Amino acid sequence: MRPGKGAAALLLVIALISASRLEAADRRGVVGELSGRVKHLIPANLIGDPDVAPQAVPGADAQGPSVNPARLDQPAALERQLRTALRRPIDATRLTVVGGAARLGHYSVGSAETVHGHIVVLEGDVDIHGRVEGNIVALDGDIIVHPGASVIGDVLAIGGHVREAGGNISGSVQSLEAVPIAPALSTAALPVVIARRAAGFVGVFLVLLTLGFGLVTFGRPNLEIVSDTVMHSFGRSFVVGLLGEVLILPTFGMLIVGLVLTVAGALLVPFGIVVYSLLAIVAVLGGVLAVAHAMGETITRRRMAQGLRVSPNAYRYLLTGLLALGVTWLAWVAFGWVPIAGGLILSAAAISTWFVGTVGFGAALLSRGGVREHFAGRIVPPEMLTDEYLWATPQFGVPAVKRPAKELEE
Amino acid sequence: MTLRRGTLLFAVVALATPSLGAQTMRAFSVSRPTKGERMLRATLDFGAGRVVVQPGLPGTLYRATVRYDAERSAPVQEYDPRTGILRLGIEAVGGGGVRVTSRAQLDQTGRFEFSPDIPLSFNATFGAADVTIDLGGTTLVDLAIWSGATRSSLTFSRPTKGECRKASFTVGASELDVRQLANAGCDEISVEGGVGRATLGFEGEWRRTSAVAVALSMGALTLRVPRGVGLQITAGRFLTSLDVAGLTRSGNIWSTANYNAAPRKLTIELKTSMAGVNVEWID
Repeated sequence: MRPGKGAAALLLVIALISASRLEAADRRGVVGELSGRVKHLIPANLIGDPDVAPQAVPGADAQGPSVNPARLDQPAALERQLRTALRRPIDATRLTVVGGAARLGHYSVGSAETVHGHIVVLEGDVDIHGRVEGNIVALDGDIIVHPGASVIGDVLAIGGHVREAGGNISGSVQSLEAVPIAPALSTAALPVVIARRAAGFVGVFLVLLTLGFGLVTFGRPNLEIVSDTVMHSFGRSFVVGLLGEVLILPTFGMLIVGLVLTVAGALLVPFGIVVYSLLAIVAVLGGVLAVAHAMGETITRRRMAQGLRVSPNAYRYLLTGLLALGVTWLAWVAFGWVPIAGGLILSAAAISTWFVGTVGFGAALLSRGGVREHFAGRIVPPEMLTDEYLWATPQFGVPAVKRPAKELEE
Repeated sequence: MTLRRGTLLFAVVALATPSLGAQTMRAFSVSRPTKGERMLRATLDFGAGRVVVQPGLPGTLYRATVRYDAERSAPVQEYDPRTGILRLGIEAVGGGGVRVTSRAQLDQTGRFEFSPDIPLSFNATFGAADVTIDLGGTTLVDLAIWSGATRSSLTFSRPTKGECRKASFTVGASELDVRQLANAGCDEISVEGGVGRATLGFEGEWRRTSAVAVALSMGALTLRVPRGVGLQITAGRFLTSLDVAGLTRSGNIWSTANYNAAPRKLTIELKTSMAGVNVEWID
């Protein structure tokens, strides 16, 4: 595709789709007029053309579409039947009307005419100047009953209006509004929606990053213990986190009841509520940041193993981990507007975030907020990892065997 | 080249994509002229939303204007000229009953008008709706209203024309406020309620003695009675507080001193449990 042709094709497609949308929203307005001119440049079989040439609709075969307008009790159901019967090109439409006839395009009953039977008009207005003994249904058109006209029956305009311009209608007058073109996400609104979601994503990301950096700066040992707990006791952390989520409210209730039951404790209820809520928030947020730290550490070490020279520090771990966690949300920001897929991406992002939160919460509970190392895989005391200790007392392997005895060296 | 094709594809998808999460609200209207009908038996069903019922113009048998969520419901209007039976409202698509699954459903609105000249028998069922009814000036024959989780306000702003035999209100977890009941001129009035608050106001033009039966559980009932009306309350109650200032008690019957001689009488039979009943005198 050459650049010039590509741009032309793009413009044509935009004009085509925009024209049909705008025209549907305002059939008779200025917009409709303009879009109609655009659409005249395009072959009629590519788009629906409302200016249908007036013609009779041939009856369908025995298995074909059929409607009975004798009762107009269910206008929505009748509309479905009629729209199902419509074909493109419009000339291919076949419809059997029980007790009447179907027409395409504008239809008029002259002042000297009398029509016996029901009239179903598709994609056109109905002008009644004479007498109709039967029901009238218009799909995507108005029904105008002019002075001197009379309709012995009911009238129903689907996607149009009934205008009683001086004529007489003996039965019910019904109109069912056309399905509106929903303005929820128009073409112009799409970038706005994406930009708004992106701004939200960036805001949340920056808040988490700031909190995480603060945690690294002021509570690094605790963060690393929770992070190590995530890595070494992942399944256990998830189970504990799940239990924690289930029990968080009952525990809160028990705490409040316990405080209320004691005279002195009742005074502490407001304090208890605030502290408990804060602890829960800190546990969940800190847990998420610890999971991000663990993910970032894993990713960074893998990259280092591949030979990349990066600085392994907790800040980098956190940044990398948060970026990894944000990937699904980033995908939602970019493609959340796509039908079905957008919903699936949102669900995936929400579930993965919940999973991460649950694991982090569980790890925070297991490690008592980063104090207890029992589940962090730290079976060797830190003092045993010092150079002095390792040099002085090789216990296993070749160094231990080859190490000369202290007495012999002397 | 690849970027250009990607841009083209993106534009096509973006333009062709139908709107997301859009609710499809549609409007439906119906009206029918009068043709010498002798009776209109109207049934109105409205699941969720805001409803207004009022008298219409002479010459129009009924008129309805409905705005509904087309994805979950469909308008209904069925009229049989031979029997005068009319069914109006919106019904759930798929026959799943009234189920509020979307906030959009609460945005639904319905305005229903009935001829003031044709005798009207009116039955209405409301789900999660905010209902305002004024039947003043209609030729009311009987009235029955069932409401679920609703806030219903019913008024008879003018005296009705017909001989109203009975008005019954069955309410669930809702708030029922009925005013100017005397204008309805009904022989019998019954209120059956679950959890909720009900107010029955007997203001208006007093035409005949009315018998009121109230069965209420776990609710609050306020009776607003014009001063001078002879009031007698027979109360069968369980864990119910009764605030009936100005009435004297004899067994389980509370009466005003002028009850026997009063030209306007109101008898109320109460069956309440875990409720509060309050009588307010209005001038």
